[in-house]
Amino acid sequence: MEVRISPQMSVMEKLKILGAAAKYDVSCSSSGSSRQNDGQGIGNTVAAGLCHSFAADGRCVSLLKILFTNECIYDCRYCLNRCSNDVPRASFTPDEVCELTMEFYRRNYIEGLFLSSGILYSPNYTMELICETVHKLRTVHRFQGYIHVKAIPGADPLLIQRAGYLADRMSVNLEMATAEGLKEMAPNKHRRNILKPMRQIQNGITENKHELTLYKHAPHFCEAGQSTQMVIGALPESDYQIMSVAENLYDKFSLKRVYYSAFVNVNEDKDLPALAGGPPLLREHRLYQADWLLRFYDFKVDELLAADRPNFNTAIDPKADWAVRHLELFPVEINRADYRLLLRIPGVGVKSARRIVSARRFGSLTFEDLKKIGVVLKRALYFITCNGRMMYPTKIEENYIVRNLTYQNQMGKGEKLPFMTDGTIYQQMSLFS
Amino acid sequence: MEEKYLVCEDSLEGIFTGIYEAYALREGHEHVHIQIGEEDNYRLFAVYLHISPDTVKTGKVARTLLERLGESVYHGLCRAAASCYPDKGEAVYKAVVDAITQGSGRHVMENLRNPYVQRAFELARYTANEAHFETEFIRFQELEQGILFSRIGPKNNVIPFIMPHFADRLCPENFMIYDENRELFGVHPAKEEWYLVSAQGDFIPEQLKWSVKEEGYQELFKAFHETIGVKERENRRLQRQMCAYRYQDYMVEFQKK
Repeated sequence: MEVRISPQMSVMEKLKILGAAAKYDVSCSSSGSSRQNDGQGIGNTVAAGLCHSFAADGRCVSLLKILFTNECIYDCRYCLNRCSNDVPRASFTPDEVCELTMEFYRRNYIEGLFLSSGILYSPNYTMELICETVHKLRTVHRFQGYIHVKAIPGADPLLIQRAGYLADRMSVNLEMATAEGLKEMAPNKHRRNILKPMRQIQNGITENKHELTLYKHAPHFCEAGQSTQMVIGALPESDYQIMSVAENLYDKFSLKRVYYSAFVNVNEDKDLPALAGGPPLLREHRLYQADWLLRFYDFKVDELLAADRPNFNTAIDPKADWAVRHLELFPVEINRADYRLLLRIPGVGVKSARRIVSARRFGSLTFEDLKKIGVVLKRALYFITCNGRMMYPTKIEENYIVRNLTYQNQMGKGEKLPFMTDGTIYQQMSLFS
Repeated sequence: MEEKYLVCEDSLEGIFTGIYEAYALREGHEHVHIQIGEEDNYRLFAVYLHISPDTVKTGKVARTLLERLGESVYHGLCRAAASCYPDKGEAVYKAVVDAITQGSGRHVMENLRNPYVQRAFELARYTANEAHFETEFIRFQELEQGILFSRIGPKNNVIPFIMPHFADRLCPENFMIYDENRELFGVHPAKEEWYLVSAQGDFIPEQLKWSVKEEGYQELFKAFHETIGVKERENRRLQRQMCAYRYQDYMVEFQKK
């Protein structure tokens, strides 16, 4: 089969089309795999990942995120590249992708390659193209940096396995939180087809771990695990449904990350919400906050939300929200509470909790010490005592605390959101301008 | 008792020699201080001793710290000593006293109740953070001879901390990183050990000639960087917060044509 695109299109034009086509995929992390250079080629990976630049929307640019082609046989309603859209189409050749990756990588522009693709002819044909490209990059160019590839749902398991041995991370996008939602939005995709490769990759990673304990030099299979993504706000799903799905994915499919993508109506489809106020960024932000609580703070979804309280509070973050509903546990004595309880205090993060635990071995801590350690006292002060004393006399009462926490927000001093919810920016008043 | 100020050179060697001399005084540590560089405002009733850096003494201090405090504390102290703040000498010295003489040992960086340890910890973190940002935001340009060249302007002396990362990553490449604030080069010849060199005479980075393909790749990356942002989510404030202007000044994708 021949690729249909006219070959005379320049790499610049292709990069513009295929970079723009890939930008709605959120995942851009380069974390989870740690590998030194073996002296044979170029590149290594860093466990925490590196962001090499930040785009105009404030999101990090870590990987060269492109589609192999934006030709697609599917007609998903939310997608810019659906076959019924009249958009310019382009395809890279494997050599072009390799050259771009290598040259960008040498200049420290990127941490590696993120290769996704529209479905050209068939899932198998597309997956084969992806495999061929990545194979070339790993063997001919001896590239040892980070590679993230998509597993195309419906592709042959053997192809997915092959890609897994070449890539650091793989992902299959769940797209919608519910199976019915997916059916409505993407008539050609089926939830079963999405979960199948996800399970395959999970099993592959588990087996690979066993192999690696036996044979130190066995090849790695998706060293950095797998991730997925859900679109938020295109359908009337509740936060509770979304978070429950995420929790299941973490527990049952051992995913590394679940990404949430605020819906952008790129196609102006009449059946999809118009979202006059822009994409639902605050909701996305709350979901990410809750996601962190699941992964690093030992929270369960049922503690944060319930069937009769299915959405997050927009005024305060999920952790503070949980805390004010459980005031019977507070105030917590900083010098005595165990690590897990410290983590539950609003204003105390993973790092400060660890520092508290190790610093208090040398003697009891004061509020001044806590400030230096990095605890956000203006949030924490309602929930903690140091040596039996609170910082200021405060009432331990739900309404009072919520009022104070949100009052700080109104003054622009409280919770720092990465964006303005109502478009206002608080500025110092000037009498002279 | 009179206060003693050991005036040391602004370098790791200077500070370590200062620590050696402070211990050699055998007068306790309460009234002995390390100061980096010349004092503009001398104190009354204080003695100023000038210490010139000494390789042997530095080596002794470094070995002792490594053996007794372990690698991670040692690296933390080195990072603090690479900071741009002049109180680093005193902070590193008193943190060493806390570790070795007052016995917090390998856990010294956790003893955040001690204000000097706190300061050393803070300075070390500041250098480490900046080094981390530089590993992310450095942009190499390919020169005519195929050498990769990068110019940076960090506040702290980060080159020694970022070279190992790039030496591993770009192992088969000849590359160098130039710190224009300190006029210092980190040089890595392909597949060999890296080293530091001070710039001799007037080095003008603008005079370097790019390779033929360099500009093409810069344009490609600029185009990619522009297309990857989602217009509906534009947020320059967040962009600036994540990547400060002082880094953007050195990055190709933020340069106007």
